Amino acid sequence: MNAGRPSGLRLPWWWIGGAALLLVVTVIAGAMIGPASISPWGIISSTLSRIPFLNVQSSLDTRADDIVWQIRMPRVVLGVLVGSMLSVAGSAYQGVFRNPLADPYLLGAGAGAGLGATLAIAYGPDASGWFIDPLPLAAFLGAIVGVVLAYVLGYTVRSGRTAVTLILAGVAVAAFLTALQTFLQQRESDTLREVYGWILGSLTTAGWSEVRLVLPYVVVCSAVLVAFRRLLDVMSVGDSEASTLGLRPSRVRLLLIGFATLGTAAVVAVSGLIGFVGIIVPHTVRLLTSASYRIIVPLSLLIGGSFLVLADIVARTVQSPAEIPIGVVTALVGAPFFAVVLRRSKAVVS
Amino acid sequence: MTSVSVSSVGVSYGRIEILSQVSLSVGDGRWMGIIGPNGAGKSTLLRAIVGAVPHCGSITLGDTEIGNEDAKSLGRRIAYVPQRPIYPPGMSVFDFVLLGRTPHLGLLAAERAEDIAIVWESLRSLSISGFAERDVASLSGGETQRVSLARVLAQQAPVVVLDEATASLDVAAQHEVLELIAQIQHEQGVTIVSAIHDLTAAAQFCDELTLLDHGRVVAMGSPEAVLDEAILGSVFEPTIRVIEIEGSRVVVSLRSQGSRHGE
Amino acid sequence: MFKRTTLFAIALALVAASCSSSDVAGTTSTSEPATTTFSTTSTSTTTTLPPDDGFPVTVEAANGAVTIDARPERIVSISPTSTEVLFAIGAGEQVIAVDSLSNYPPEAPITELSAWTPSIEAIAEYDPDLVFISFDPGDLIVGLETLGIPVILHGTASSLEDAYAQWEQTGAATGHIAEAVDVVSDTQSRLLDAAESIANEAQGLTYYYEIEDLLYTTTSASFIGQVIALTGLSNIADEAADPDGFGYPQLSQEFIVESDPNLILLANTVYGGQSLETVAARPGWGSISAVTSGAVVELNDDIASRWSPRVVELLDAVVEAVSSLPTADA
Repeated sequence: MNAGRPSGLRLPWWWIGGAALLLVVTVIAGAMIGPASISPWGIISSTLSRIPFLNVQSSLDTRADDIVWQIRMPRVVLGVLVGSMLSVAGSAYQGVFRNPLADPYLLGAGAGAGLGATLAIAYGPDASGWFIDPLPLAAFLGAIVGVVLAYVLGYTVRSGRTAVTLILAGVAVAAFLTALQTFLQQRESDTLREVYGWILGSLTTAGWSEVRLVLPYVVVCSAVLVAFRRLLDVMSVGDSEASTLGLRPSRVRLLLIGFATLGTAAVVAVSGLIGFVGIIVPHTVRLLTSASYRIIVPLSLLIGGSFLVLADIVARTVQSPAEIPIGVVTALVGAPFFAVVLRRSKAVVS
Repeated sequence: MTSVSVSSVGVSYGRIEILSQVSLSVGDGRWMGIIGPNGAGKSTLLRAIVGAVPHCGSITLGDTEIGNEDAKSLGRRIAYVPQRPIYPPGMSVFDFVLLGRTPHLGLLAAERAEDIAIVWESLRSLSISGFAERDVASLSGGETQRVSLARVLAQQAPVVVLDEATASLDVAAQHEVLELIAQIQHEQGVTIVSAIHDLTAAAQFCDELTLLDHGRVVAMGSPEAVLDEAILGSVFEPTIRVIEIEGSRVVVSLRSQGSRHGE
Repeated sequence: MFKRTTLFAIALALVAASCSSSDVAGTTSTSEPATTTFSTTSTSTTTTLPPDDGFPVTVEAANGAVTIDARPERIVSISPTSTEVLFAIGAGEQVIAVDSLSNYPPEAPITELSAWTPSIEAIAEYDPDLVFISFDPGDLIVGLETLGIPVILHGTASSLEDAYAQWEQTGAATGHIAEAVDVVSDTQSRLLDAAESIANEAQGLTYYYEIEDLLYTTTSASFIGQVIALTGLSNIADEAADPDGFGYPQLSQEFIVESDPNLILLANTVYGGQSLETVAARPGWGSISAVTSGAVVELNDDIASRWSPRVVELLDAVVEAVSSLPTADA
């Protein structure tokens, strides 16, 4: 009689289907909408012309074609990658730390990336002729170093290796790195504007090279986090119980934090510190569907991508052709939306 | 078929010694009650047995030293309910009980139909299949104990370690939960080690008792042997009295004569 | 007491006079310095110069009326623009310390003083009799005035007239009013000459001015935008709604490419490391007219971010680029 999971606990198919559809729709909208006035038909014909054997002739001239394929498309794709990665990483952090306020920057990834970026901007060699841009590399390394520092500090605390000591270590490391970053920024004040521009986060200058740079990280890291989503549910009963359920909580935590950090570091390196996404998206999913990470993690992946693409559409159209920093949009649009979801939901967040 | 054997076990946090030279053994299918005053080291002993705190000395399940087992195979052999379990808000009763299947699954594997069936079975045998979809964080004290026991059942471990399963329950609910544990003990043939603060209940349900004080074993044996006025009086307070009602020992603490004068 | 009141009344009268002829202020050199008025867009300036050495003098700077009792001999400038102006008008010898970013002219006595996080104590240690600043991060002015040190705040110029007025105020405050007036008129004529030399070529040409490679730009509302507008070039950013009202919006990349500017002016070459090569390498930028014709002008970041007399050099670079453009075929 009771053969399967209770029906109320099964995620209705239309949630996954709807989230996937939303992603497709936002990507198309992202491709169609922009400050350059290019007709939707032109974009469609140009897209079809790229599919072999269809023999459709693009109705766009070279410049319009460049705008769509060299500027707008990579920006949309990067938005999907960054939004998905930050959301999945955020859901993993919340599960691992059993803390609803955890976001991907909790353990010093943000502060470390900021410091790395500042170092590269202020002291980096002139890299104009280089094959790779040192700025994302420095931000990436900074994010990793920040989290490793927090992790080492948290796990050498004598009172025990718990999630709480790790969070406290993260807070200490983040405060230290941020202070260091602010200090350097003030010393090298001619770089102030560039550093601030980077910290605010931006997809303004995204190109395919940025997409290629982060794609492998996002694919591998989000695949790992989605694959291990069931363990996040086990972790939610606390370390000692999880350990008697056959897990090594500290190892699981290391593994999940490791991949969440790697992915976060990669996207932060190319997009700067886009805030709010990692908190708002997983919580919205949780409030609308279920508290189980088996559902939250994959849905965050799909909805996070859509959310950031939508936020970016707002960022580049509201004051077109001027832009608004995307971090401002994610907070301005995301926070009130989240408040509505929070008020309407029956579920408890504690 | 698993017995539990603890020999010369010590646990310390830094320089503070919580347990020292604790030895006890629990026969297969028996229920061992760990009693003693607050701070005697009962919870620590249980946590050492489930491998959650580092210890010196030896703890074996059957004939395997727990330190030699990986976390997963240990999880298949021993189930544990802490004194104050965490019931994650928003998690359904079903999903919570399903966590008991974790040691039986590969790291990346999803639950099989068999696991789902075992969860339903566990819910039914504790009469809580009706609220499989309820939020675990919204349940009453007695209900959450049943949910935790259902997870223990789903884990299908031959040894069950319970830390004060009835601490916050009223008399009737406490009795009900203890009956359920006894039922699990007899129907599944599991070995139970539980910390229990109610000495009268311990006398009725446990097969054997170990009395701990300041991290050392003070007495061990049948409830009749351990629940002795002289022994308990030395550990708890001298005013303790043991009386017998319908063949079962009842432990009470009388108010001393001196303090009654004030009224 | 009576005397003071009289002086004040005269000052008021001068303010009134300056209001009625505000278009004259700063745009023509005055033969009679004692009655010159100096106005900024936000405040009007009255300088009262007794016949001898001109002091005491009162200038109406952005931070209000500042009275300098005697010719200052220990000036501290923690504004790179003020440093350039002081040296340009011949007050360099009176300058004893400048902030760490004041890298021009080379003979400026550069110190570790920070313009972004100025320390009142560090400034006071030089025992200055006049301090120039370009912004007050908090209580800098109040702090220095408490120590009895006069401070002149000359914030980012909002227009050429504003810059000229600042230069003349600097001249008045340091005893170099005649030189300051000369520098203003010289700058004016050089800018106009440069602009006129390409008046025909610049017709119909557009430019994009890059401050930072996240595509921050400036509109014709800013100081630098007004300078370039003298030539008749039109700024693609003027279409952009200006979010912060200061004329420094961030543009969308696709908008820049679609606008297809004839010139790209880079103000982020020294610190931002941008050049014709880096711009040409940006995705989608290769087809922009400015890139195909090589009309990507590498401006000096420092000059571009200041409002000193060196602005002439900046306009000269733009003029040179325009005149070397292949003759327009369209």
